[in-house]
Amino acid sequence: MSFVPGQPVTAVVERVEIQKLRQGENLILGFSIGGGIDQDPGQNPFSEDKSDKGIYVTRISPKGPADLAGLKMGDKIMQVNGWDMTMVTHDQARKKLTKKREDVVRLLVTRKSLEEAVKHSKCSYPKH
Amino acid sequence: MEDYDVRSAASILASVKEQEARFEQLTRALEEERRNVNLQLERANLPPNPPTSQPLPWQQVVMQEQSPSNATSLAMMQEPQEVVEETVTIEEDPGTPTSHVSVVTSDDGTTRRTETKVTKMVKTVTTRTVRQVPLGPDGLPLPEGTSPLGSYTDSIDRRYLKNGSDRFITPQATSTLTRSYNNSYNDSYGETPESQYIRHYGLHDGYTDLTDNYGSLSRGVNYRPPRYPYMPNSYRPENSYTLPIRKDDYGHVAQPQVPMGSSTVDLNRSQPERFQPEPYGLEDDRRSLGPEEEEPYELEPDYSTANRRTLPGANRGRTHREPLRDGPRVRGYPDDPIEAELIDERHPYIHGMYSAPLAQPERGSMASLDRMGGRRSPSIDSIRKDPRWRDPDLPEVIAMLGHPIDPVKSNAAAYLQHLCYENDKIKKDVRQLKGIPVLVGLLDHPKSEVHRKACGALRNISYGKDNDNKVAIKNCDGIPALIRLLRKTNDMEVRELITGTLWNLSSYEPLKMVIINHGLQTLTNEVIIPHSGWEHEPNEDSKPRDAEWTTVFKNTSGCLRNVSSDGAEARRRLRECEGLVDALLHALQSAVGKKDMDNKSVENCVCIMRNLSYHVHKEVPGAEKYQDPSALQAPGSAGPQRKKKDDAGCFGGKKAKGRKNGENDKSYDTLDLPKRTEPSKGFELLYQPEVVRLYLSLLTESQNYNTLEAAAGALQNLSAGQWTWSSYIRATVRKEKGLPILVELLRSDSDKVVRAVAIALRNLSIDRRNKDLIGSYAMRDLVSNLPSGQQRPAKNLEEDTVVAILNTIHEIVTDSSENARSLIQAQAIEKLVAINRTSQSARETKAASHVLQTVWSYKELRNALAKDGWNKSHFQLTVTATPKATKNGKPGYDDTTLPLMEKNQGTRKCGSGDMIPMDELGPDGYSTIDQRDKDCKYKTGDGSVDLTEREPLKNDTNRKHYIRSNRPAVSLVDACDVKPQPVDSWV
Repeated sequence: MSFVPGQPVTAVVERVEIQKLRQGENLILGFSIGGGIDQDPGQNPFSEDKSDKGIYVTRISPKGPADLAGLKMGDKIMQVNGWDMTMVTHDQARKKLTKKREDVVRLLVTRKSLEEAVKHSKCSYPKH
Repeated sequence: MEDYDVRSAASILASVKEQEARFEQLTRALEEERRNVNLQLERANLPPNPPTSQPLPWQQVVMQEQSPSNATSLAMMQEPQEVVEETVTIEEDPGTPTSHVSVVTSDDGTTRRTETKVTKMVKTVTTRTVRQVPLGPDGLPLPEGTSPLGSYTDSIDRRYLKNGSDRFITPQATSTLTRSYNNSYNDSYGETPESQYIRHYGLHDGYTDLTDNYGSLSRGVNYRPPRYPYMPNSYRPENSYTLPIRKDDYGHVAQPQVPMGSSTVDLNRSQPERFQPEPYGLEDDRRSLGPEEEEPYELEPDYSTANRRTLPGANRGRTHREPLRDGPRVRGYPDDPIEAELIDERHPYIHGMYSAPLAQPERGSMASLDRMGGRRSPSIDSIRKDPRWRDPDLPEVIAMLGHPIDPVKSNAAAYLQHLCYENDKIKKDVRQLKGIPVLVGLLDHPKSEVHRKACGALRNISYGKDNDNKVAIKNCDGIPALIRLLRKTNDMEVRELITGTLWNLSSYEPLKMVIINHGLQTLTNEVIIPHSGWEHEPNEDSKPRDAEWTTVFKNTSGCLRNVSSDGAEARRRLRECEGLVDALLHALQSAVGKKDMDNKSVENCVCIMRNLSYHVHKEVPGAEKYQDPSALQAPGSAGPQRKKKDDAGCFGGKKAKGRKNGENDKSYDTLDLPKRTEPSKGFELLYQPEVVRLYLSLLTESQNYNTLEAAAGALQNLSAGQWTWSSYIRATVRKEKGLPILVELLRSDSDKVVRAVAIALRNLSIDRRNKDLIGSYAMRDLVSNLPSGQQRPAKNLEEDTVVAILNTIHEIVTDSSENARSLIQAQAIEKLVAINRTSQSARETKAASHVLQTVWSYKELRNALAKDGWNKSHFQLTVTATPKATKNGKPGYDDTTLPLMEKNQGTRKCGSGDMIPMDELGPDGYSTIDQRDKDCKYKTGDGSVDLTEREPLKNDTNRKHYIRSNRPAVSLVDACDVKPQPVDSWV
């Protein structure tokens, strides 16, 4: 997930669609995010590249909407409803996720296991 | 244990059914085979050489699996093999070593593993066995191209294996294989057989000897054609490389007679009728045929018979046992491979030594039928009946290790490996016949086939409880030879065998230092570092690599795990081994990052880290500089010293001085982590506060009890002692919200986890603030682990654990009347009194009485106690207690709280002078803590302060919520952090 500035980012992504759950007045997704360009990326426990300021899923409430949708702790959120999430502040990301009038968010996320799955399927000779 | 599950009744049923189906198929195949054989024989007779020789139509891969268990389902078959392989590595080493290294492992577990491993080994053999045999008999002529095809196939298989190695072979893979085979075969067999075959093939390749089996096959195929021209026998080209080939080879190379003899032999033995043309191929063919035919028994029987008999009962016994472990494996029958190998060996042997016996031509076909009907390995019997054949006895096999012809050597070694499998008697005999030095000598043999097989034999020999075998390997400089080979070879299988052998050897105490001396840096450089993904000087452009949990890494980490428990000197060597700690840490971080924390490699790594963290405050170079000044002072002036301690150390100067401990801690948290000018490396990483997060992640995520225990043990070790870093660690655990994680683990079902966590909490409570928090929030969980009266709680924890918990409670209530009050509120007094009065364990009694005495010492609590109906007599030593203690031989003090690891080490290490001076400690003896420290603590009695500080944090509902939701419990965590925590928004 590291990238060279100026080069397009390539990542294996998974599409996750989360139906928000209404709790009283709140719509909840059931996960928490960390990261953002205004945060200290070094404290992100999930990023491989400790300079990665992307938005990461830090916690998932069990059986919550995100959990049911297959989101995983440590996922990096690439897009929310088509909005890029790789270069946003923490608060911008939060706002994109919590729009009151949207009942559904569609995420593009990437995670290590995805990349590996692809890698495996590509090369049949994983080194042992 | 998984194996057992696999074996469940359902799977057995399924396998039986499959077997039945197979029998049917086999029968049919046999019939066909016979016909073919007859045809071929006729043909052979007519145009003996020319026709058969190269055109040999068939190449069949031999299936080993079929015979035994008749693998029922693909999945089953594959899985077992996989399992087997994994097991193999693990088994040997893990068994003993595991237990040794980490106290945690239970003997039973070890034993089982070991056995499993054994199975693997057998399987491995089996894999080797698989070969492609040219089939002439079917009458389906295979184009010469066969051989190339064969090789092609191989590659395909491997790929699949890799891909699906763990799982099942993908249908695609199967199909591919089939196709390729078909070319050679002409689809003589039903799909089923092929598919099975393929599977086997794949499995074998992937796991065991890709090179060997396949390689041999392909090679055989490829090479042969060229060779054949020279050969007298026209048939050979067809032959697959394997056993039969070898014969041919031998014949060609070494023994001129062989060609003739071989042909006859082959005919005779295997199935003369069928295979006439291909001399060596025959044996292989048989196997292959058998499997293909789907006569599991037959194939093996023919081969196995000879071989098996040789193996006196070893195979059998194994086979039988194995079934228990792995249903699948049974099917896969190790026997087949073994047999194949055996056969190979025999051939040379036989050819060379004996006049070619007449094979039992018919047997192949006939016998197989009979057998099929009867037992699994009827063929063996048939073979046995033939007086002309006999297996080489052990001295002969060992003598063959020195045979001038390399294939003889390797076959002899493979045979030895097979014989030694799970057979302590044979291992011992090999040792006494001086076979081990010869095998060790073969490790330096330039041919991979030879050193591989020798290494395989050594691995089996080194496995088990008979340490004399291990010593024998060491005495002929086997350890440096293994290390040399490790440096030299890039063959993954050989590396697995080497590291597996070393793992086995490392379970024996006296060899640990030898392994360290000869192999530590090599193992680190060759295996640990590359597989961990760590790089000395990370290239900024490349992203950090993840660890690869290979078998080699697992074996090597298991070996290092064992040697890391060998005392202070071993720890020093490992800590100072360049790159080792860095790589282990990187691997663990990678595991955390990938959420892949339950595997054996992670367990091994954590155990090494735990062991290396032990006594780090005393043993690390320059540790003196970091000693807490307060620890050096007389234990009289506790209060002031404590403060000093908190802000002490080289980095402590700037720290604010708080009047109260709590304040101290707070300010300490905010200020005092040392600033490093350059990143720490090597052993420094062991005790950097950053590791706390790693261990806490493991404690949060891992499901592996051994890993949990080791991670808790690491925190326990790091938080022990009085030096600057341990106070950082204690504070960092709190800051990283580790206390609730630990407290939650008090509810673990695993005894050893509870114990390790309890002791860790005890050490952490050296930090005053931790003590307050733990006292407030962990007391109920601690108490709930105590037995109530005669009844044990549901968990039924071991004595050691109960004592550890009691000692932790004692530590927590010492110097804190508030914590003692919490204890009372947790309804603990009733349990403590019950333990004190009725426990059968002197140590429990003792520990409980210490707690009670401490509680009684708080005069301000006596009213409350009296209200509950307690009086002084309940808090006194019971009359019985003393005698009990004396009986136990530990009257004065209790050392139960020693962390497992320490205990372990203490007992295992020779000269455990480095051990913690538990004995000197008082009843509450912290294993890891210095007495001075304790004294200090005792004196520090500012309970009131604690109260005030604690108040705001008390929020039971809050805390429960957190624990339940698995979020960090706020209440247990200090509010102040050095840096603002990263923002984390719920959405």
